[in-house]
Amino acid sequence: MAAERSRLAGRLSRPFAGVMATTYRWVDERLGVTDLVHQLLYEAVPRRGAWAYSLGSATLILIVNQIVTGMFLLWTYVPSTTEAWESLNFTERHDEFGAIVRGMHLWGAYVLFVVIGLHMVRTFVSGSYKKPRELNWIVGVVLFLLVLGLGITGAMLPWDQAAYWTATVVTHVVEYFPIFGTQLQEILRGGPQMGPATLTRFFAIHIWLLPALLVPLIGLHLILLRRHGEHGSWVNYEGVEEETAEERARRMAHVEYPYPAIPSDPGYAVPVDLDEFFPSQVFKDSVVSFGLVLLIFVMAVVVGAPLERAANPAALNYVPTPEWFFLPLDQMLVQFPQAWMIPVGVFIVPGIGTTLLILVPFLDRTPGREPWRRPEVMIPALFVVLFLLFEALLAVNRLFNL
Amino acid sequence: MPDQELAISQRRMSRRKFMTLGIQVTGAGIGLLIGAPIVGSILSPAFYKGRYPWVMVADIQHVPVGVPTAYVVLLDQGGDAWQVPPVPRTVYVVKLNLNGKVQLLTLSNVCTHMQCDVHWDINLNVFLCPCHGGLYSIDGTNIGGPPPQPLFRYQHKLVGTTLYVRNVLTEG
Repeated sequence: MAAERSRLAGRLSRPFAGVMATTYRWVDERLGVTDLVHQLLYEAVPRRGAWAYSLGSATLILIVNQIVTGMFLLWTYVPSTTEAWESLNFTERHDEFGAIVRGMHLWGAYVLFVVIGLHMVRTFVSGSYKKPRELNWIVGVVLFLLVLGLGITGAMLPWDQAAYWTATVVTHVVEYFPIFGTQLQEILRGGPQMGPATLTRFFAIHIWLLPALLVPLIGLHLILLRRHGEHGSWVNYEGVEEETAEERARRMAHVEYPYPAIPSDPGYAVPVDLDEFFPSQVFKDSVVSFGLVLLIFVMAVVVGAPLERAANPAALNYVPTPEWFFLPLDQMLVQFPQAWMIPVGVFIVPGIGTTLLILVPFLDRTPGREPWRRPEVMIPALFVVLFLLFEALLAVNRLFNL
Repeated sequence: MPDQELAISQRRMSRRKFMTLGIQVTGAGIGLLIGAPIVGSILSPAFYKGRYPWVMVADIQHVPVGVPTAYVVLLDQGGDAWQVPPVPRTVYVVKLNLNGKVQLLTLSNVCTHMQCDVHWDINLNVFLCPCHGGLYSIDGTNIGGPPPQPLFRYQHKLVGTTLYVRNVLTEG
Protein backbone atom coordinates (compact mmCIF):
# COMPACT_ATOMS: atom_id res chain seq x y z
CA MET A 1 0.00 0.00 0.00
CA ALA A 2 2.79 2.38 0.99
CA ALA A 3 4.77 1.40 -2.09
CA GLU A 4 1.70 1.92 -4.23
CA ARG A 5 1.17 5.35 -2.69
CA SER A 6 4.74 6.55 -3.31
CA ARG A 7 4.56 5.23 -6.86
CA LEU A 8 1.38 7.27 -7.28
CA ALA A 9 2.94 10.36 -5.73
CA GLY A 10 5.76 9.98 -8.24
CA ARG A 11 3.29 9.74 -11.07
CA LEU A 12 1.29 12.77 -9.93
CA SER A 13 4.39 14.94 -9.44
CA ARG A 14 5.94 13.87 -12.72
CA PRO A 15 4.77 16.92 -14.70
CA PHE A 16 6.46 19.13 -12.12
CA ALA A 17 10.16 19.72 -11.88
CA GLY A 18 12.53 21.44 -9.47
CA VAL A 19 10.75 24.06 -7.38
CA MET A 20 7.34 22.88 -8.54
CA ALA A 21 7.99 19.33 -7.40
CA THR A 22 9.36 20.57 -4.07
CA THR A 23 6.33 22.78 -3.57
CA TYR A 24 3.98 19.96 -4.50
CA ARG A 25 5.68 17.65 -2.01
CA TRP A 26 5.52 20.37 0.70
CA VAL A 27 1.78 20.86 0.18
CA ASP A 28 1.12 17.14 -0.22
CA GLU A 29 2.79 16.26 3.08
CA ARG A 30 0.45 18.68 4.83
CA LEU A 31 -2.81 18.39 2.89
CA GLY A 32 -2.62 14.80 1.66
CA VAL A 33 -3.57 15.75 -1.89
CA THR A 34 -2.13 12.58 -3.38
CA ASP A 35 -4.07 10.38 -0.98
CA LEU A 36 -7.23 12.31 -1.73
CA VAL A 37 -6.78 12.08 -5.49
CA HIS A 38 -5.97 8.42 -5.07
CA GLN A 39 -9.19 7.86 -3.17
CA LEU A 40 -11.26 9.87 -5.62
CA LEU A 41 -9.90 8.49 -8.87
CA TYR A 42 -8.55 4.99 -8.36
CA GLU A 43 -11.37 2.61 -7.71
CA ALA A 44 -12.74 -0.39 -9.54
CA VAL A 45 -15.95 -0.03 -11.59
CA PRO A 46 -17.88 -2.47 -13.79
CA ARG A 47 -16.39 -2.63 -17.28
CA ARG A 48 -19.38 -3.46 -19.54
CA GLY A 49 -22.26 -0.99 -19.95
CA ALA A 50 -20.13 1.89 -18.74
CA TRP A 51 -21.75 4.44 -21.07
CA ALA A 52 -25.10 3.83 -19.39
CA TYR A 53 -23.46 4.38 -16.00
CA SER A 54 -22.42 7.93 -16.95
CA LEU A 55 -25.91 9.32 -16.22
CA GLY A 56 -25.22 9.82 -12.50
CA SER A 57 -22.12 11.94 -13.06
CA ALA A 58 -24.00 13.81 -15.81
CA THR A 59 -26.68 14.62 -13.22
CA LEU A 60 -23.96 15.92 -10.91
CA ILE A 61 -22.43 18.12 -13.61
CA LEU A 62 -25.88 19.49 -14.51
CA ILE A 63 -26.57 20.34 -10.86
CA VAL A 64 -23.20 22.12 -10.68
CA ASN A 65 -24.31 24.05 -13.79
CA GLN A 66 -27.50 25.07 -11.96
CA ILE A 67 -25.58 26.22 -8.89
CA VAL A 68 -23.00 28.21 -10.86
CA THR A 69 -25.43 29.86 -13.28
CA GLY A 70 -27.83 30.52 -10.40
CA MET A 71 -25.12 32.39 -8.49
CA PHE A 72 -24.58 34.71 -11.41
CA LEU A 73 -28.29 35.28 -12.04
CA LEU A 74 -28.26 36.92 -8.61
CA TRP A 75 -26.01 39.64 -9.97
CA THR A 76 -29.06 41.33 -11.48
CA TYR A 77 -32.17 39.55 -10.20
CA VAL A 78 -34.16 41.37 -7.48
CA PRO A 79 -36.60 39.22 -5.48
CA SER A 80 -39.38 41.79 -5.30
CA THR A 81 -42.84 41.81 -6.89
CA THR A 82 -42.20 45.28 -8.27
CA GLU A 83 -38.64 44.67 -9.51
CA ALA A 84 -38.19 40.95 -10.29
CA TRP A 85 -39.70 41.20 -13.75
CA GLU A 86 -38.01 44.55 -14.42
CA SER A 87 -34.59 43.18 -13.50
CA LEU A 88 -34.98 40.15 -15.77
CA ASN A 89 -36.39 42.30 -18.54
CA PHE A 90 -33.23 44.40 -18.24
CA THR A 91 -31.13 41.24 -18.49
CA GLU A 92 -33.01 40.07 -21.56
CA ARG A 93 -32.83 43.45 -23.31
CA HIS A 94 -29.47 44.88 -22.35
CA ASP A 95 -27.26 42.06 -21.08
CA GLU A 96 -26.80 39.48 -23.85
CA PHE A 97 -24.47 37.30 -21.82
CA GLY A 98 -26.75 37.52 -18.79
CA ALA A 99 -29.57 36.30 -21.02
CA ILE A 100 -27.41 33.32 -22.02
CA VAL A 101 -26.68 32.59 -18.34
CA ARG A 102 -30.43 32.69 -17.70
CA GLY A 103 -31.01 30.44 -20.70
CA MET A 104 -28.44 27.95 -19.40
CA HIS A 105 -30.17 27.92 -16.00
CA LEU A 106 -33.54 27.17 -17.62
CA TRP A 107 -32.36 24.65 -20.22
CA GLY A 108 -30.00 23.16 -17.65
CA ALA A 109 -33.06 22.48 -15.49
CA TYR A 110 -34.96 20.94 -18.42
CA VAL A 111 -32.05 18.67 -19.38
CA LEU A 112 -31.49 17.85 -15.71
CA PHE A 113 -35.04 16.52 -15.39
CA VAL A 114 -34.57 14.32 -18.45
CA VAL A 115 -31.20 13.00 -17.27
CA ILE A 116 -32.41 12.34 -13.71
CA GLY A 117 -35.35 10.47 -15.24
CA LEU A 118 -33.00 8.35 -17.37
CA HIS A 119 -30.69 7.81 -14.38
CA MET A 120 -33.64 6.52 -12.35
CA VAL A 121 -34.92 4.35 -15.20
CA ARG A 122 -31.51 2.75 -15.73
CA THR A 123 -31.08 2.17 -11.98
CA PHE A 124 -34.53 0.64 -11.85
CA VAL A 125 -34.07 -1.58 -14.91
CA SER A 126 -30.75 -2.94 -13.62
CA GLY A 127 -32.13 -3.53 -10.12
CA SER A 128 -29.20 -1.56 -8.69
CA TYR A 129 -31.30 -0.69 -5.62
CA LYS A 130 -31.06 -4.26 -4.36
CA LYS A 131 -29.15 -5.33 -1.25
CA PRO A 132 -26.99 -3.58 0.01
CA ARG A 133 -27.87 -0.38 -1.92
CA GLU A 134 -31.48 0.15 -0.73
CA LEU A 135 -30.74 3.35 1.17
CA ASN A 136 -28.95 4.93 -1.77
CA TRP A 137 -32.07 4.46 -3.87
CA ILE A 138 -34.07 6.23 -1.15
CA VAL A 139 -31.54 9.09 -0.96
CA GLY A 140 -31.82 9.30 -4.75
CA VAL A 141 -35.62 9.55 -4.61
CA VAL A 142 -35.34 12.34 -2.02
CA LEU A 143 -32.83 14.12 -4.29
CA PHE A 144 -35.30 13.77 -7.18
CA LEU A 145 -38.08 15.30 -5.06
CA LEU A 146 -35.80 18.17 -4.02
CA VAL A 147 -34.97 18.84 -7.68
CA LEU A 148 -38.70 18.85 -8.49
CA GLY A 149 -39.13 21.39 -5.69
CA LEU A 150 -36.29 23.47 -7.07
CA GLY A 151 -37.87 23.34 -10.52
CA ILE A 152 -41.27 24.53 -9.36
CA THR A 153 -39.96 27.26 -7.02
CA GLY A 154 -37.57 28.46 -9.74
CA ALA A 155 -40.48 28.75 -12.17
CA MET A 156 -42.14 31.26 -9.81
CA LEU A 157 -39.26 33.71 -9.54
CA PRO A 158 -39.43 35.72 -12.83
CA TRP A 159 -42.84 37.10 -11.68
CA ASP A 160 -44.05 37.26 -15.24
CA GLN A 161 -47.52 35.94 -16.06
CA ALA A 162 -46.32 32.32 -16.23
CA ALA A 163 -44.50 32.61 -12.90
CA TYR A 164 -47.33 34.43 -11.13
CA TRP A 165 -50.00 31.94 -12.12
CA THR A 166 -47.73 28.97 -11.45
CA ALA A 167 -47.15 30.34 -7.95
CA THR A 168 -50.88 30.97 -7.51
CA VAL A 169 -51.89 27.43 -8.44
CA VAL A 170 -49.05 25.73 -6.54
CA THR A 171 -49.69 27.65 -3.32
CA HIS A 172 -53.42 27.10 -3.68
CA VAL A 173 -53.01 23.32 -3.91
CA VAL A 174 -52.11 23.20 -0.20
CA GLU A 175 -55.44 24.84 0.68
CA TYR A 176 -57.05 21.46 0.01
CA PHE A 177 -54.99 19.94 2.83
CA PRO A 178 -57.38 18.72 5.53
CA ILE A 179 -57.99 20.97 8.58
CA PHE A 180 -54.92 23.24 8.24
CA GLY A 181 -55.28 23.97 4.52
CA THR A 182 -56.02 27.69 4.81
CA GLN A 183 -53.24 28.23 7.35
CA LEU A 184 -50.77 26.30 5.22
CA GLN A 185 -51.62 28.44 2.22
CA GLU A 186 -51.18 31.63 4.24
CA ILE A 187 -47.83 30.40 5.54
CA LEU A 188 -46.67 29.60 2.00
CA ARG A 189 -47.93 32.92 0.63
CA GLY A 190 -46.80 34.96 3.61
CA GLY A 191 -50.33 36.31 3.93
CA PRO A 192 -53.88 35.63 2.80
CA GLN A 193 -53.12 36.59 -0.83
CA MET A 194 -50.34 36.42 -3.34
CA GLY A 195 -48.08 39.29 -2.37
CA PRO A 196 -44.54 40.55 -1.88
CA ALA A 197 -43.86 38.00 0.88
CA THR A 198 -44.86 35.16 -1.46
CA LEU A 199 -42.00 35.93 -3.83
CA THR A 200 -39.37 36.48 -1.13
CA ARG A 201 -40.05 33.19 0.59
CA PHE A 202 -40.04 31.14 -2.59
CA PHE A 203 -36.82 32.92 -3.51
CA ALA A 204 -35.33 31.89 -0.16
CA ILE A 205 -36.60 28.33 -0.58
CA HIS A 206 -35.15 28.15 -4.10
CA ILE A 207 -31.69 29.56 -3.48
CA TRP A 208 -31.04 28.46 0.14
CA LEU A 209 -33.40 25.99 1.76
CA LEU A 210 -33.60 23.35 -0.97
CA PRO A 211 -29.93 23.62 -2.08
CA ALA A 212 -28.87 23.36 1.57
CA LEU A 213 -30.69 20.02 1.70
CA LEU A 214 -29.63 18.98 -1.79
CA VAL A 215 -25.87 19.42 -1.53
CA PRO A 216 -25.24 17.29 1.60
CA LEU A 217 -27.57 14.60 0.29
CA ILE A 218 -25.59 14.49 -2.95
CA GLY A 219 -22.54 13.95 -0.72
CA LEU A 220 -24.31 11.08 1.04
CA HIS A 221 -25.39 9.64 -2.33
CA LEU A 222 -21.73 9.58 -3.46
CA ILE A 223 -20.41 8.25 -0.13
CA LEU A 224 -22.91 5.38 -0.30
CA LEU A 225 -21.98 4.77 -3.95
CA ARG A 226 -18.33 4.43 -2.91
CA ARG A 227 -19.15 2.37 0.15
CA HIS A 228 -20.75 -0.43 -1.87
CA GLY A 229 -19.15 0.15 -5.24
CA GLU A 230 -21.06 0.67 -8.44
CA HIS A 231 -23.47 -2.18 -9.08
CA GLY A 232 -23.62 -1.82 -12.85
CA SER A 233 -26.20 -4.14 -14.34
CA TRP A 234 -26.86 -7.77 -15.22
CA VAL A 235 -24.25 -7.72 -18.01
CA ASN A 236 -21.60 -7.40 -15.27
CA TYR A 237 -22.79 -10.52 -13.47
CA GLU A 238 -23.22 -13.08 -16.28
CA GLY A 239 -23.03 -16.63 -14.97
CA VAL A 240 -22.60 -15.67 -11.31
CA GLU A 241 -25.66 -17.61 -10.20
CA GLU A 242 -24.36 -20.84 -11.78
CA GLU A 243 -20.74 -20.63 -10.63
CA THR A 244 -19.40 -23.11 -8.11
CA ALA A 245 -18.20 -22.14 -4.66
CA GLU A 246 -14.62 -22.60 -5.89
CA GLU A 247 -15.08 -20.34 -8.88
CA ARG A 248 -16.67 -17.73 -6.68
CA ALA A 249 -13.85 -17.96 -4.14
CA ARG A 250 -11.30 -17.58 -6.95
CA ARG A 251 -13.12 -14.49 -8.22
CA MET A 252 -13.34 -13.00 -4.74
CA ALA A 253 -9.60 -13.51 -4.27
CA HIS A 254 -8.93 -10.77 -6.81
CA VAL A 255 -11.39 -8.29 -5.34
CA GLU A 256 -10.48 -4.62 -5.73
CA TYR A 257 -11.52 -1.51 -3.76
CA PRO A 258 -14.36 -0.60 -3.16
CA TYR A 259 -15.67 -4.14 -3.64
CA PRO A 260 -16.91 -6.50 -2.27
CA ALA A 261 -20.34 -4.99 -1.68
CA ILE A 262 -21.55 -6.37 1.65
CA PRO A 263 -24.10 -7.77 2.40
CA SER A 264 -24.86 -9.00 -1.11
CA ASP A 265 -26.89 -11.79 -2.62
CA PRO A 266 -24.61 -14.73 -3.55
CA GLY A 267 -22.47 -13.91 -6.57
CA TYR A 268 -23.36 -10.19 -6.67
CA ALA A 269 -20.65 -8.84 -4.34
CA VAL A 270 -18.22 -8.11 -7.19
CA PRO A 271 -18.85 -7.58 -10.93
CA VAL A 272 -17.14 -10.25 -13.05
CA ASP A 273 -15.34 -7.67 -15.19
CA LEU A 274 -13.70 -4.62 -13.65
CA ASP A 275 -12.19 -1.46 -15.06
CA GLU A 276 -10.54 1.61 -13.58
CA PHE A 277 -12.79 4.54 -12.67
CA PHE A 278 -9.97 6.77 -13.89
CA PRO A 279 -9.52 7.14 -16.76
CA SER A 280 -11.97 4.65 -18.36
CA GLN A 281 -15.21 5.71 -16.66
CA VAL A 282 -14.23 9.34 -16.16
CA PHE A 283 -13.56 9.64 -19.90
CA LYS A 284 -17.03 8.36 -20.79
CA ASP A 285 -18.59 10.54 -18.10
CA SER A 286 -16.78 13.59 -19.48
CA VAL A 287 -17.89 12.94 -23.05
CA VAL A 288 -21.54 12.55 -22.03
CA SER A 289 -21.47 15.60 -19.75
CA PHE A 290 -19.78 17.70 -22.41
CA GLY A 291 -22.46 16.75 -24.93
CA LEU A 292 -25.21 17.72 -22.50
CA VAL A 293 -23.61 21.04 -21.52
CA LEU A 294 -23.08 21.81 -25.21
CA LEU A 295 -26.77 21.09 -25.83
CA ILE A 296 -27.70 23.42 -22.97
CA PHE A 297 -25.41 26.13 -24.28
CA VAL A 298 -26.82 25.90 -27.80
CA MET A 299 -30.41 26.01 -26.51
CA ALA A 300 -29.54 28.99 -24.27
CA VAL A 301 -28.05 30.92 -27.20
CA VAL A 302 -30.58 29.93 -29.86
CA VAL A 303 -33.82 29.76 -27.86
CA GLY A 304 -32.97 31.36 -24.52
CA ALA A 305 -35.33 31.63 -21.58
CA PRO A 306 -38.74 33.18 -22.28
CA LEU A 307 -40.01 36.13 -20.26
CA GLU A 308 -43.72 36.77 -20.60
CA ARG A 309 -45.39 40.06 -19.74
CA ALA A 310 -45.20 41.20 -16.14
CA ALA A 311 -47.55 39.51 -13.68
CA ASN A 312 -51.11 40.79 -13.91
CA PRO A 313 -53.40 39.54 -11.13
CA ALA A 314 -56.38 41.12 -12.94
CA ALA A 315 -55.82 38.98 -16.05
CA LEU A 316 -58.98 37.97 -17.85
CA ASN A 317 -57.89 35.78 -20.74
CA TYR A 318 -54.45 34.52 -19.74
CA VAL A 319 -54.17 30.72 -19.99
CA PRO A 320 -51.76 29.49 -17.32
CA THR A 321 -49.80 26.40 -18.36
CA PRO A 322 -47.62 24.38 -15.98
CA GLU A 323 -43.96 23.59 -16.59
CA TRP A 324 -43.79 20.43 -18.72
CA PHE A 325 -42.47 18.26 -15.91
CA PHE A 326 -45.66 18.97 -13.91
CA LEU A 327 -48.09 18.21 -16.76
CA PRO A 328 -49.18 14.77 -15.43
CA LEU A 329 -50.02 16.29 -12.03
CA ASP A 330 -51.88 19.16 -13.73
CA GLN A 331 -53.93 16.68 -15.73
CA MET A 332 -54.96 14.96 -12.51
CA LEU A 333 -56.41 18.28 -11.31
CA VAL A 334 -58.92 17.95 -14.15
CA GLN A 335 -59.58 14.27 -13.48
CA PHE A 336 -60.27 14.72 -9.77
CA PRO A 337 -63.02 17.37 -9.78
CA GLN A 338 -65.24 18.68 -6.99
CA ALA A 339 -64.78 19.08 -3.30
CA TRP A 340 -63.71 15.76 -1.77
CA MET A 341 -61.98 14.39 -4.89
CA ILE A 342 -59.51 17.28 -5.18
CA PRO A 343 -57.42 16.29 -2.12
CA VAL A 344 -57.34 12.75 -3.53
CA GLY A 345 -55.86 14.08 -6.77
CA VAL A 346 -53.34 16.46 -5.23
CA PHE A 347 -52.24 14.59 -2.08
CA ILE A 348 -53.31 10.96 -1.94
CA VAL A 349 -52.49 9.76 -5.48
CA PRO A 350 -49.10 11.55 -5.72
CA GLY A 351 -48.44 10.56 -2.10
CA ILE A 352 -49.04 6.89 -2.85
CA GLY A 353 -46.86 7.18 -5.96
CA THR A 354 -43.99 8.75 -4.01
CA THR A 355 -44.29 6.18 -1.21
CA LEU A 356 -44.16 3.31 -3.70
CA LEU A 357 -41.12 4.90 -5.36
CA ILE A 358 -39.32 5.11 -2.02
CA LEU A 359 -40.27 1.53 -1.12
CA VAL A 360 -39.14 0.02 -4.45
CA PRO A 361 -36.10 -1.77 -2.91
CA PHE A 362 -38.33 -3.45 -0.33
CA LEU A 363 -41.18 -4.27 -2.72
CA ASP A 364 -38.92 -5.97 -5.26
CA ARG A 365 -38.36 -9.47 -3.79
CA THR A 366 -37.16 -11.00 -7.08
CA PRO A 367 -33.80 -12.81 -6.87
CA GLY A 368 -32.36 -11.92 -10.30
CA ARG A 369 -31.06 -8.72 -11.83
CA GLU A 370 -32.16 -9.08 -15.47
CA PRO A 371 -35.31 -7.05 -16.18
CA TRP A 372 -36.94 -9.98 -18.01
CA ARG A 373 -36.56 -12.07 -14.87
CA ARG A 374 -38.33 -9.40 -12.79
CA PRO A 375 -41.73 -9.00 -14.51
CA GLU A 376 -43.39 -8.46 -11.09
CA VAL A 377 -41.75 -5.02 -10.88
CA MET A 378 -40.97 -4.23 -14.52
CA ILE A 379 -44.57 -4.52 -15.76
CA PRO A 380 -46.14 -2.30 -13.05
CA ALA A 381 -43.31 0.23 -13.51
CA LEU A 382 -43.89 0.24 -17.26
CA PHE A 383 -47.57 0.95 -16.64
CA VAL A 384 -46.70 3.84 -14.30
CA VAL A 385 -44.35 5.39 -16.88
CA LEU A 386 -46.93 4.93 -19.67
CA PHE A 387 -49.62 6.41 -17.39
CA LEU A 388 -47.49 9.51 -16.69
CA LEU A 389 -46.70 9.96 -20.41
CA PHE A 390 -50.39 9.49 -21.27
CA GLU A 391 -51.43 12.07 -18.66
CA ALA A 392 -48.84 14.52 -19.98
CA LEU A 393 -50.14 13.95 -23.52
CA LEU A 394 -53.75 14.56 -22.40
CA ALA A 395 -52.65 17.77 -20.67
CA VAL A 396 -50.77 19.00 -23.74
CA ASN A 397 -53.80 18.25 -25.88
CA ARG A 398 -56.08 20.07 -23.45
CA LEU A 399 -53.89 23.15 -23.08
CA PHE A 400 -52.53 23.52 -26.58
CA ASN A 401 -55.26 21.81 -28.68
CA LEU A 402 -53.03 19.48 -30.67
CA MET B 1 -8.01 0.81 48.20
CA PRO B 2 -10.39 -0.93 45.75
CA ASP B 3 -13.47 0.52 47.44
CA GLN B 4 -12.17 4.03 47.14
CA GLU B 5 -11.27 3.48 43.46
CA LEU B 6 -14.74 2.12 42.80
CA ALA B 7 -16.29 5.13 44.54
CA ILE B 8 -14.11 7.45 42.46
CA SER B 9 -14.98 5.67 39.24
CA GLN B 10 -18.67 5.85 40.13
CA ARG B 11 -18.31 9.52 40.89
CA ARG B 12 -16.52 9.89 37.55
CA MET B 13 -19.37 8.14 35.82
CA SER B 14 -21.88 10.44 37.42
CA ARG B 15 -19.75 13.42 36.44
CA ARG B 16 -19.64 12.01 32.91
CA LYS B 17 -23.41 11.52 32.93
CA PHE B 18 -23.86 15.05 34.22
CA MET B 19 -21.82 16.46 31.35
CA THR B 20 -23.61 14.27 28.80
CA LEU B 21 -26.93 15.49 30.12
CA GLY B 22 -25.61 19.05 30.08
CA ILE B 23 -24.58 18.70 26.45
CA GLN B 24 -28.01 17.37 25.54
CA VAL B 25 -29.84 20.11 27.45
CA THR B 26 -27.71 22.96 26.13
CA GLY B 27 -27.87 21.47 22.63
CA ALA B 28 -31.66 21.34 22.79
CA GLY B 29 -31.60 24.90 24.19
CA ILE B 30 -29.52 26.15 21.27
CA GLY B 31 -31.88 24.44 18.84
CA LEU B 32 -34.92 25.88 20.60
CA LEU B 33 -33.55 29.42 20.83
CA ILE B 34 -32.64 29.46 17.14
CA GLY B 35 -35.68 27.51 16.01
CA ALA B 36 -38.53 29.13 17.96
CA PRO B 37 -38.32 32.60 16.38
CA ILE B 38 -37.92 30.99 12.93
CA VAL B 39 -40.99 28.79 13.37
CA GLY B 40 -42.96 31.73 14.79
CA SER B 41 -41.95 33.90 11.87
CA ILE B 42 -42.96 31.21 9.38
CA LEU B 43 -46.32 30.67 11.05
CA SER B 44 -47.21 34.32 11.70
CA PRO B 45 -48.93 34.95 8.32
CA ALA B 46 -51.54 32.34 9.28
CA PHE B 47 -52.69 34.57 12.16
CA TYR B 48 -52.55 37.90 10.39
CA LYS B 49 -55.65 40.10 10.33
CA GLY B 50 -55.70 42.70 7.57
CA ARG B 51 -57.49 46.04 7.16
CA TYR B 52 -59.24 46.53 3.87
CA PRO B 53 -60.41 50.00 2.78
CA TRP B 54 -63.26 50.53 0.32
CA VAL B 55 -62.17 51.17 -3.28
CA MET B 56 -64.37 52.87 -5.86
CA VAL B 57 -65.18 50.71 -8.88
CA ALA B 58 -67.35 52.92 -11.12
CA ASP B 59 -70.77 54.40 -11.61
CA ILE B 60 -72.69 51.27 -12.57
CA GLN B 61 -75.97 52.91 -13.54
CA HIS B 62 -75.60 51.80 -17.17
CA VAL B 63 -74.38 48.24 -16.61
CA PRO B 64 -76.97 46.11 -18.44
CA VAL B 65 -78.95 43.48 -16.57
CA GLY B 66 -77.81 39.92 -17.36
CA VAL B 67 -74.42 40.83 -18.82
CA PRO B 68 -71.42 40.33 -16.50
CA THR B 69 -69.19 43.37 -16.89
CA ALA B 70 -65.52 43.29 -15.92
CA TYR B 71 -63.89 46.16 -14.04
CA VAL B 72 -60.27 46.30 -12.99
CA VAL B 73 -59.86 47.80 -9.54
CA LEU B 74 -56.69 48.52 -7.61
CA LEU B 75 -57.22 46.59 -4.41
CA ASP B 76 -55.28 47.27 -1.26
CA GLN B 77 -53.61 44.11 0.04
CA GLY B 78 -54.80 44.92 3.54
CA GLY B 79 -51.30 45.47 4.81
CA ASP B 80 -50.32 41.99 3.60
CA ALA B 81 -46.58 42.02 4.30
CA TRP B 82 -44.98 45.40 3.56
CA GLN B 83 -46.31 48.33 1.60
CA VAL B 84 -46.50 47.67 -2.12
CA PRO B 85 -48.62 49.34 -4.78
CA PRO B 86 -52.25 48.13 -4.71
CA VAL B 87 -52.76 45.03 -6.83
CA PRO B 88 -55.03 45.18 -9.88
CA ARG B 89 -57.89 42.69 -9.66
CA THR B 90 -60.86 42.00 -11.88
CA VAL B 91 -64.35 42.42 -10.42
CA TYR B 92 -67.30 41.14 -12.43
CA VAL B 93 -70.33 43.34 -11.83
CA VAL B 94 -73.46 41.26 -12.45
CA LYS B 95 -77.00 42.58 -12.38
CA LEU B 96 -79.63 39.85 -12.15
CA ASN B 97 -83.35 40.27 -12.60
CA LEU B 98 -85.08 38.34 -9.81
CA ASN B 99 -88.87 38.71 -10.20
CA GLY B 100 -88.59 42.32 -11.26
CA LYS B 101 -86.06 43.15 -8.53
CA VAL B 102 -82.47 43.77 -9.57
CA GLN B 103 -79.87 41.85 -7.57
CA LEU B 104 -76.29 43.12 -7.70
CA LEU B 105 -73.34 40.72 -7.49
CA THR B 106 -69.63 41.60 -7.42
CA LEU B 107 -67.90 38.37 -8.43
CA SER B 108 -64.21 37.65 -8.18
CA ASN B 109 -62.77 36.21 -11.40
CA VAL B 110 -60.57 33.82 -9.41
CA CYS B 111 -61.48 30.18 -10.00
CA THR B 112 -62.27 28.34 -6.77
CA HIS B 113 -60.43 25.24 -7.99
CA MET B 114 -56.82 26.39 -8.45
CA GLN B 115 -57.32 30.17 -8.56
CA CYS B 116 -56.74 30.69 -12.28
CA ASP B 117 -58.40 33.63 -14.05
CA VAL B 118 -61.96 32.93 -15.26
CA HIS B 119 -63.73 35.06 -17.89
CA TRP B 120 -67.35 35.45 -19.07
CA ASP B 121 -67.80 33.62 -22.35
CA ILE B 122 -70.40 35.52 -24.36
CA ASN B 123 -71.11 32.56 -26.67
CA LEU B 124 -71.59 29.91 -24.00
CA ASN B 125 -73.09 32.27 -21.40
CA VAL B 126 -70.90 30.84 -18.65
CA PHE B 127 -67.82 31.85 -16.71
CA LEU B 128 -65.03 29.68 -18.12
CA CYS B 129 -61.71 28.76 -16.51
CA PRO B 130 -58.92 28.03 -19.02
CA CYS B 131 -56.77 25.98 -16.64
CA HIS B 132 -58.85 22.88 -15.95
CA GLY B 133 -62.17 23.67 -17.61
CA GLY B 134 -64.22 24.92 -14.68
CA LEU B 135 -67.68 26.37 -15.53
CA TYR B 136 -69.85 28.79 -13.55
CA SER B 137 -73.30 30.17 -14.26
CA ILE B 138 -74.02 33.92 -14.36
CA ASP B 139 -74.49 34.13 -10.58
CA GLY B 140 -71.15 32.37 -10.03
CA THR B 141 -72.56 28.94 -9.21
CA ASN B 142 -70.15 26.16 -10.17
CA ILE B 143 -71.95 24.10 -12.82
CA GLY B 144 -69.19 21.99 -14.37
CA GLY B 145 -65.58 20.85 -14.22
CA PRO B 146 -63.45 20.60 -11.09
CA PRO B 147 -64.38 23.75 -9.07
CA PRO B 148 -65.63 22.70 -5.61
CA GLN B 149 -67.63 25.87 -4.83
CA PRO B 150 -69.15 29.00 -6.45
CA LEU B 151 -67.09 32.06 -7.35
CA PHE B 152 -66.25 34.23 -4.37
CA ARG B 153 -67.87 37.68 -4.07
CA TYR B 154 -66.20 40.90 -3.06
CA GLN B 155 -67.87 42.84 -0.26
CA HIS B 156 -69.55 45.82 -1.91
CA LYS B 157 -71.61 48.88 -1.12
CA LEU B 158 -73.51 51.33 -3.27
CA VAL B 159 -73.37 55.08 -2.74
CA GLY B 160 -76.10 56.29 -5.07
CA THR B 161 -75.19 54.42 -8.26
CA THR B 162 -71.46 54.37 -7.53
CA LEU B 163 -70.09 50.94 -6.61
CA TYR B 164 -67.41 50.38 -4.00
CA VAL B 165 -65.73 47.06 -3.20
CA ARG B 166 -63.11 46.00 -0.75
CA ASN B 167 -60.65 43.14 -0.70
CA VAL B 168 -62.76 40.89 1.51
CA LEU B 169 -64.24 37.82 -0.14
CA THR B 170 -67.43 36.09 0.89
CA GLU B 171 -68.62 32.71 -0.28
CA GLY B 172 -71.09 32.81 -3.15
